[in-house]
Amino acid sequence: MKAELIKRKIKKEFNGWWIISIVGAVVILLPILFIFASIFQEPNENWLQIQQYLLKNYVVNTILLVVLTGIFTAFLGVSLAWLVAAYDFPLRRFFRWGLLLPLSIPTFIAAYTYRTMLGYTGVVQTSLRNRFDYQVSPEWLTVSGIGGAVFIFTLFLFPYVYMITRAFLENQSTSYIENARLLGRKPLAVFFKVVLPLSRPAIVGGTILVIYEVLGDYGVTSYLGIHTISTAIFQTWFGMYDVNSAMKLAAWLMVIIVGVFFLEKLLRQRRRYHISNKSRTLVPIKLKGMASIAAFLYCSIVFLIGFLIPFIQLIVWANMTFHKVWNETFFTLIYQTVLLAIISTISILILAVVVANVCRRNSSFSFILSKSVTTGYSIPGPIIAIGVLAMFIYLDQWLAPVYSSMGLGEAPLILSMSIVMLIVGYFIRFTATGFNAIEVGFEKMGTKYMEASRMLGLGVTKTFFKVDLPLLKGALMSGFILTFVEICKELPLALLLRPFNFETLATKTFQYANDEQIYEASTSSLLIIAISILSVIIFQIIGKRVKQ
Amino acid sequence: MTIVEIEDLTFSFSRKENPVIDDFSFSMEKGEIVGILGQSGSGKSTLLRLISGLEMPLKGTIKIAGKTVVSDGIFIHPENREVGMVFQDYALFPHMTVNDNILFGLSRMPRKGRKQRVDEMLELVQMEPLAKRYPHELSGGQQQRVALARALAPKPNVLLMDEPFSNLDADLKESIREELGVILKKANMSCIIVTHDRKDVEAICDYSIVIGPSNQTKNFSEKKFHHV
Repeated sequence: MKAELIKRKIKKEFNGWWIISIVGAVVILLPILFIFASIFQEPNENWLQIQQYLLKNYVVNTILLVVLTGIFTAFLGVSLAWLVAAYDFPLRRFFRWGLLLPLSIPTFIAAYTYRTMLGYTGVVQTSLRNRFDYQVSPEWLTVSGIGGAVFIFTLFLFPYVYMITRAFLENQSTSYIENARLLGRKPLAVFFKVVLPLSRPAIVGGTILVIYEVLGDYGVTSYLGIHTISTAIFQTWFGMYDVNSAMKLAAWLMVIIVGVFFLEKLLRQRRRYHISNKSRTLVPIKLKGMASIAAFLYCSIVFLIGFLIPFIQLIVWANMTFHKVWNETFFTLIYQTVLLAIISTISILILAVVVANVCRRNSSFSFILSKSVTTGYSIPGPIIAIGVLAMFIYLDQWLAPVYSSMGLGEAPLILSMSIVMLIVGYFIRFTATGFNAIEVGFEKMGTKYMEASRMLGLGVTKTFFKVDLPLLKGALMSGFILTFVEICKELPLALLLRPFNFETLATKTFQYANDEQIYEASTSSLLIIAISILSVIIFQIIGKRVKQ
Repeated sequence: MTIVEIEDLTFSFSRKENPVIDDFSFSMEKGEIVGILGQSGSGKSTLLRLISGLEMPLKGTIKIAGKTVVSDGIFIHPENREVGMVFQDYALFPHMTVNDNILFGLSRMPRKGRKQRVDEMLELVQMEPLAKRYPHELSGGQQQRVALARALAPKPNVLLMDEPFSNLDADLKESIREELGVILKKANMSCIIVTHDRKDVEAICDYSIVIGPSNQTKNFSEKKFHHV
C-alpha cells in the first residue's frame, strides 16, 4: 500500500518543473561538493608549505577581522536602529533611510577612497599642512592593516544590522516596549532589559550577514595588504595556478563558515519569539534639548563619514579625471557589465521562479530544494569562484575527446576560458537574492488562484503563464533589480572567473585602484554607487508596501 | 445516475496525526444538491479538496460520473476531473475582468461557442452590465455570482462550494441563498455545499450529511432530507 501511495504521490506532483529545479540545485551544489571533496585529495608541496608557514596567520587574521567587525557593526547598527525607531529628533525621517546609503558604496571603493583621502597627499593632510601648518604623524591617520579594514567594514556594512534591527523594533516589538514604558522603566532600562534581549534574533541575523561579507572579501583586504584565507585563495591561484591548494584553503574557509552557522544557531537558541503580524508601529518619543542634539549629531556623523564625505570626494576626483576616462573603452565596459548582469539575472530569475513554484507545496522535498538553491548566498565569493573553476577545468578535461573530435586540438580549455564560467558563478552566488524576492511574491499571492485555475481545466504550466506570472510582476521586478545590482557590484567572482582581458565595472575600478590610479577609478566607482542606490530605493519601496 | 461515488476514503495531513477523514463512504445522484455540515476542523473542506484533486487521500476510491479519479495507483489531476469549485473567498483572478474570468475555464471549448457561453453565464447570474469590471470593483455578493458563473461555465459534472455564504453580510445572505438555489436548479447542476450553518442547508439542499472528527463512532450521519 505504501508503494502505491508513493507512486500516486509522484504522479500528482512530478512534472517538468521538478526536473528543472533539481538540475538547478545540482548545478548550485556541485562546486561546493568539489570543495569538500578536495579535503580528501593528496596534498602537494605548495599546500604543505602553506600549511606549515602561512595558514595559521591567515586563519588568525580572518577571525580577528570577523570578530572585531562583528562587534563594532552590531554596536553601531543597533544603537542607530534604536534611536531612529524609538525617538524623534531633527531629520529623523531622513536618517531612517539615509543610514542605509553606506551600503551602496562597495567596501573596496570605500577603502581606496579613505586611504587616499587620509593619506599624505589626501585632502585632510594637505589642508592641515597648508592651512594650519600642522604636520600629522603618518601612522596616526592612515587607513591600513587590520584596524583600517575593520574601520571600513564597520562603516560601510553596519546598515545590514541597522536595517534588520530597525524593521524588527518598528514593527514587531511595540507592545513589549510600550508595556515596559508603562511599567515605569527608564529609557536605558527599557533598552537593556527589553529591547536588546527581544531583538537578539534580528541583531544576530544582521551581524551574520556582515560576517559573511567580511569572510568573502577580497577587495579591501588585498588592497590593504592583509592576508586572510580569501586573499590566499586568490594568491594561490593567480600566483601558482594551484587549484588544489586553493581548494584546500577554500575548505578551511568553509570550516569557519560552518562554525559561524552553528554560532548563529547557538546565539538564537530559544530566542524564536512568536510575534504577531498585526502589531502596530512603534510611536517614537520626541527628544528635547541636549538629547535631541546629541541624537542628531550621532546620526549626522555616521551619515557623513559613512556616505556623504567619500561620495563627495569621489565626485571631486571624477570631475578631475572625467575627460580622461569617459571614452569609447568606458562605454564598452558599461555595455559589457550591463549585458553580463542582464543575462545572469534572467537565468537566475528563471530558476528562481521554477523552484519557488515547486516549493509552494510544502513538503520536506521542497524545503531541501529551497535550501539548496539558496546556499550560495552564505558562501563567500572566493570559495564559489574556486569551486566553479575546479569544476570547469574538470569538465574541460572530461570533454577533451569531444573537443579533439571537433578539431579543436588536444585538451584545450574551452569552457573554463569562456564567460559561461562567470555566469555560472553569479548563478550560484545570487540565486538566493532572486529566489527570496520571488518567494515573497508567491507567498503574498497564496495558492487559491492557482487552485481555481486548475479547477477550471488548466494544467500547472498553463496556469503559471496565465495566472501566476501576471500576478508575480511586482516580485519579478524587484527580484530583477536586486539581483542585477548585486552582480554589477560583485568583485571576487568576476576577478577570478572572467575570461582573459574581460573587464566589468567592478574589476576595472579595482584594477585602477590597485595601480594607484585612484582618481581614474572614481568615475566607475560613482556609476557602481548609483546603481546600488537603486536597490536601496527598491528596499525602501518594498518596505513601505509591506507596511500598507 | 450516480455522479459522485466515494468509498473508504481516508486522509490525514501528516503521518503522525490522526486521520481527519476516516473510512468515509458516500454517493450522490445527478442533479442533487447535498449539504455537508460539520464543525470547523471536521474535515469538510478537506473532503471537497479530495474530490477536486487538490489533495490526495491515503486510501480510498473516488468516482466522478462513473470515472475513477483516484484509487490505488490512479491519480487524475484536478484540471482533468471536470469538477467545478467555488472557493470560500471566491479567488477571482484580480488581473482579469468579469468577462475574462468566466472565459478562463472555456479553453477546451471550440473558440466559436465560447462567447455565447460567457453571455449565457452572465445572463444566468444577471451580471451582464458589469462584464467589463474587475473583481475589486464588485461587491461581495456580485463577486460570488461571478465565481459561480465561472465555475459553471465549463459545464462541470459536479459543483463544489466551500462555505459559499461565509463572506456575505447577514441580510444579503438570505436573498443570495435563494437565488443560488434557483440558479443551480435551472442549470440542473449536481452540487455539494460545505457549510457550518444549518440554515444554509435547509434553504437549498435536497438533503445533508454531517461529518465529524474520526474519534466519534461514525464518520457521518444518515442522510437527512429537507423539503425544498
